[in-house]
Amino acid sequence: MDTLAALGHGFLVALTPYNLLWSAIGVTVGTAVGVLPGIGPALTVALLLPVTYHLEPTSAFIMFAGIYYGAMYGGSTTSILLNAPGESGSIVTAIDGHAMAKQGRGAQALATAAIGSFIAGTIATAALTFVAPLMVKMALLFGPAEYFALMVLALTTVTAVLGNSLARGLGSLFLGLALGLVGIDMQTGQARLAFGVPELLDGIDTVVVAVGLFAVGETLYVASRFRFEREEVYALKGSKWMSREDWSRSWKPWLRGTLLGFPIGALPAGGSEIPTFLSYLVEKRLAKKPEEFGHGAIEAVAGPEAANNASAAGVLAPLLSLGLPTSATAAIMLAAFQQYGLQPGPTLFDSNPELVWGMIASLYVGNVLLLLLNLPLVGMWVKLLVIPRPWLYAGILVFSTLGAYTLNNNVVDLVILWVIGLVGFGMRVLNVPVAPCVVGLILGPLAEQQFRRALAISQGDATVFITHPISAALLAIAVLLVVGPLVMRRRSRTAASDHAGKTSAV
Amino acid sequence: MTTGRSLRIGEALLGGGLFALGALIAVETMLTPSAGRGVVGPALFPYLIAAGLMLVALSLLREAFAGHIAHDAGLELDLRAVVLVAAGLAAQFLLIEYLGWIPSAALLFVAVARAFGNRRYLLNAVFGLVLAGGTFAVFNYGLDLNLPIGTVGEWFLPAE
Repeated sequence: MDTLAALGHGFLVALTPYNLLWSAIGVTVGTAVGVLPGIGPALTVALLLPVTYHLEPTSAFIMFAGIYYGAMYGGSTTSILLNAPGESGSIVTAIDGHAMAKQGRGAQALATAAIGSFIAGTIATAALTFVAPLMVKMALLFGPAEYFALMVLALTTVTAVLGNSLARGLGSLFLGLALGLVGIDMQTGQARLAFGVPELLDGIDTVVVAVGLFAVGETLYVASRFRFEREEVYALKGSKWMSREDWSRSWKPWLRGTLLGFPIGALPAGGSEIPTFLSYLVEKRLAKKPEEFGHGAIEAVAGPEAANNASAAGVLAPLLSLGLPTSATAAIMLAAFQQYGLQPGPTLFDSNPELVWGMIASLYVGNVLLLLLNLPLVGMWVKLLVIPRPWLYAGILVFSTLGAYTLNNNVVDLVILWVIGLVGFGMRVLNVPVAPCVVGLILGPLAEQQFRRALAISQGDATVFITHPISAALLAIAVLLVVGPLVMRRRSRTAASDHAGKTSAV
Repeated sequence: MTTGRSLRIGEALLGGGLFALGALIAVETMLTPSAGRGVVGPALFPYLIAAGLMLVALSLLREAFAGHIAHDAGLELDLRAVVLVAAGLAAQFLLIEYLGWIPSAALLFVAVARAFGNRRYLLNAVFGLVLAGGTFAVFNYGLDLNLPIGTVGEWFLPAE
């Protein structure tokens, strides 16, 4: 009951004309930027951060919520019509969505994605409304040791789950952790790895790193491959509406996708990649015509898109109630909170209920606005796809440098952006995932803080992490996630070589 | 043109770079006089991360020499375009305080457009100037953020 009262109060905040305006601007800009090829939700949020600097926090986060959801909608348009998924959560959508676009059923693919996103987004936001306060209650039981263990688990899942090589993921993670060390140590005031550069004492900004990796690194990579690749945009033609058959094939995948997306998004399990993939597999298993999968099955767009949006809401639960980012986008949102001097977590619900509940309420509002924006006006967004690439990427870099410069008004951030961009290009060429780096950068210092607090409380007794049951369990899961796949791979490799040995002996 | 062989060099660079970074962190931490008063000082995490970096780097180097590389078929890269974009960004951070935001951002715009094969310099320069001028106006007058006008730009401002 408390929750409903709080949510009602949140709606009063979100529905004031002033905040409604920011929500509308947020979803519009979020969709527009999210549609642009090469820009996923993480980069959209990072690039639009400077626009919110002059707002008071509540309106700023209402706008952010709009940008976040808008970027998710916009991203699906890009992956369906252009086969250029802007982030890992849209990869699965792109397979069948693009196949549908090729067959002239692009409008139906976009419609099932938009309606599915709306349904999943609304259900998942409702789930968020009730799960977040529960998580806050749970968080109150957590001491520093448990927080540390939880952060280790989040870092592990982001790393172990993404990409196909554990070593590459860990390399990216440790690079992020190393960047997080730079600056003044929060507890002793000692400068670390600043090399006498005063601008480095404040640390390296998460936003600069995210923009460097996602925008500059990506632009360098696309520039290097531009001469060798051709892309095709498929125009929308024929009926814009979904047929009765489309509806009947879509509604169950929407609901199943939501069921998969929200809980997995809310767990520290690396955001939207797993739920979208699971949804695809489930739909293929349950479909009447599984042979259509990969060649434009509408279920394969409806399910994963719903899962993607539901997990986007799920990710907000640990972010708001525990201060724990579980995806690159969430890491940037956390950086945005820190920019305002706010630390998400149980205390935020007490100290800034207007902000938290206003933001949650604005998610419901934003979803409705997005459905209105994306169903009738989809033709307008599609036009953004045909912006000539030279101007698109030139514009992306102008806005990236703008964002990096306006963070602290100094040139050092531009130099850092340049260096990180070149590193990002190298990572892109060598298939090193970048999300672990961004999450590591922001979680590393927080994890260190909790680690040292835990040891200060236990007076140096390092066994607190394994004598506290919750912390021990979380750490055990983290270890299993790293060691499990290694052991299994080794076993299958020895099995394979045994097999090879036998056949060659024969 | 990048063949499998130079990708392998890139792979080795990745491992080597991470190893060097780990070593740098370890040495720098050793050289910093510690102000640790708490139970755990500010040096523990740098050492842990340095050790982690070096271990991961060794594993990556082993992969590089054992032959597990990212693109088995080789990957063609247009390195001239990469250099052009990187040069545009470098020119911007070198020039922004002298020329100000508008010309330096317009220069970046032209450089990136050229890297993507667009040679209409004049048109792109106009586009870049309009974009940079527009953002300058919105950010400095609308959002109260300070994009630099540059030392050159200040000559044209009325003396205060």
